Amino acid sequence: MWQQVEQSLHSSMGLVMNKIATLLPGILAFIAAFLFFLLIGWLVALLVRRILTAMHFDERMRGGASAIAEWSPRATPSLLVGRVVFWCFVFAGVVVGVSALGTSEHIVSGWMLGYVPRLVGAAILLLAGNVLARFVARSVLITGVNLNLSYARLLSMGVRWMILVLTGAMVLDHLALGGAIVELGFGILFGGIVFALALAVGLGSRDLVSRSLEREASRPVEVAQPEKIHHF
Amino acid sequence: MAAVEITEETRQQAERVGPADVVVGIAGAVSPDELRVRAQQVLTELGSGASSLRFVFAWPGATPEAAAGAVQAAENPALTLIPFAPPAQGTGELWADVSACQRAVLALAASLKARACIVLGSDLAALRTPLIQLFTYAVLDRQCGLVMPVYPSAKYDGLINSGILSPLSRALYGKRVHYPLAFDFAVSGALCAGLARTSPAAANSLLWPVTVAATQFPQAPVGQVHVDAHHQVAAEGLELSAVLGQLAGSLFQEMDQCASHWQRIRGSQATPAWGNAGDGQPDGQPIDPQPMLDSFLLGSKNLEEVWRLLLPPNALLELRRLTKLAPDQFRMPDDLWACIVYDFALAYRLRTINRVHLLGAFTPLYLGWVASYVREVSNLSSAAAEQRLEQFARAWEEKKPYLLSRWRWPDRFNP
Repeated sequence: MWQQVEQSLHSSMGLVMNKIATLLPGILAFIAAFLFFLLIGWLVALLVRRILTAMHFDERMRGGASAIAEWSPRATPSLLVGRVVFWCFVFAGVVVGVSALGTSEHIVSGWMLGYVPRLVGAAILLLAGNVLARFVARSVLITGVNLNLSYARLLSMGVRWMILVLTGAMVLDHLALGGAIVELGFGILFGGIVFALALAVGLGSRDLVSRSLEREASRPVEVAQPEKIHHF
Repeated sequence: MAAVEITEETRQQAERVGPADVVVGIAGAVSPDELRVRAQQVLTELGSGASSLRFVFAWPGATPEAAAGAVQAAENPALTLIPFAPPAQGTGELWADVSACQRAVLALAASLKARACIVLGSDLAALRTPLIQLFTYAVLDRQCGLVMPVYPSAKYDGLINSGILSPLSRALYGKRVHYPLAFDFAVSGALCAGLARTSPAAANSLLWPVTVAATQFPQAPVGQVHVDAHHQVAAEGLELSAVLGQLAGSLFQEMDQCASHWQRIRGSQATPAWGNAGDGQPDGQPIDPQPMLDSFLLGSKNLEEVWRLLLPPNALLELRRLTKLAPDQFRMPDDLWACIVYDFALAYRLRTINRVHLLGAFTPLYLGWVASYVREVSNLSSAAAEQRLEQFARAWEEKKPYLLSRWRWPDRFNP
């Protein structure tokens, strides 16, 4: 019996070692491709930054109302372009590496390989959705405060969650998780919110709206008073 | 640095007109007929006093009708009118377009080899003989490189200027100029070309006359003249936050570009002023600062998470303390307001958050200062309010070391 156990252990160990041995070239190819593209990306980004600096790219961007200058985080537009170039190469390295991993057949299933681009796409969607949600929420909050809206924070939070929910639904859909449930759930949620708002305005505020309209209709035409304070 | 280009047509016109002593340029759309009448009146009133000087009046209007107007005017040898092509890049923003037009006037004056150039607002409110005399006197007789106006204003007028532009410009560049953002000013011939020149990065600059004069021509004296004129600013439809964002953004951008210059400047120099200051504006009725205070309180309730990214803990603590004060005790200390503006300028430079957000988050703080100022000067006369603003501007100068320290070492711990 011990012989049989020993034999099965040997054979399973051999199988695992064999699999690792066949996986290793793929992993090495992945690492080599990734490092190669990392190096190329670093060099190209450096070159791009040098060229842009020589062209006074930052000053030109800051001269006009340029969008790229507004989106540059803390640093200069040329650094932003350099970073974009660098990360493009890193992404290309990952793609080439994963393809090299895929060529070492029978190691990683085709399904998993096919799923990697979806995962990458979903991660990008999630990141973009989060950035957009933060940006738009902050814009709404600041604009609301400057318009003296006491419910500015509520509005901002609502916009933020709407974008996050939309992003979540898009991510799940992209990952092909949940299937029709996501679409259905999202449709019900969004539709519900719109319906609730419509009911709130249509029923709850009916009297308020009619009173407001009556007041507006009966109000005498006011002559605008000159402002006593001048900011500019 | 690139020169502001004048078109070939304008250049030919300038060559035909020949050299001038004084160029009076209008920085904005104006009726040629009205300009001709007013210019003729000014020349007549100047009479023999200006007989030795050749005046050329310029206005933006390189249309066939405008050219015809120039020809008609040329029939009168005493009056020379010259149209010039207005700058092409119209942004639609009030001060940006005016600023571009002012630069074009200076470029034309440089091509005419003028000894002095007087730039006036397009409503022609300042096209009056005493003012032309004053500007000419300050540039030609008193050898000023740049002459800025001092407008008569009531204590509640031009609060963005009083609360931000003037004290910040004074603290940075060391010139005590009342109105760094002006529709009317005069420049000596030596400075015309220099001021017309602009780098692409400085194209959006609005306070450039004072900034360029102080940083690139520090030896050129700066003077002021009392201009008894009121310009009508089309304020209707303009959002305070948008205007404040444009002005403060332009100023912060200038600070970034001229950092190597203003970091070397300490204190400020008085600028001589000529002309009659007048009796001042009537004090007017007291204003209720409560709406401004409410805006500030709403901002402090909702925007603290944004302010926390831009302001140091000490300033946040002070602001929180202010929100707890009773409305009749609300007063924002001068040094706190100066530090807040300095911190926003630094955050603008570092791009701590999106610049549009940064400038938007600035408005409630500004309204807090306005509420404090309005409450403080409500019982003061215009003259006393003026003295109060002088004291306020000194506080900005005293806080300049704080700005220098934050600017040079932004990552250093700052309680």
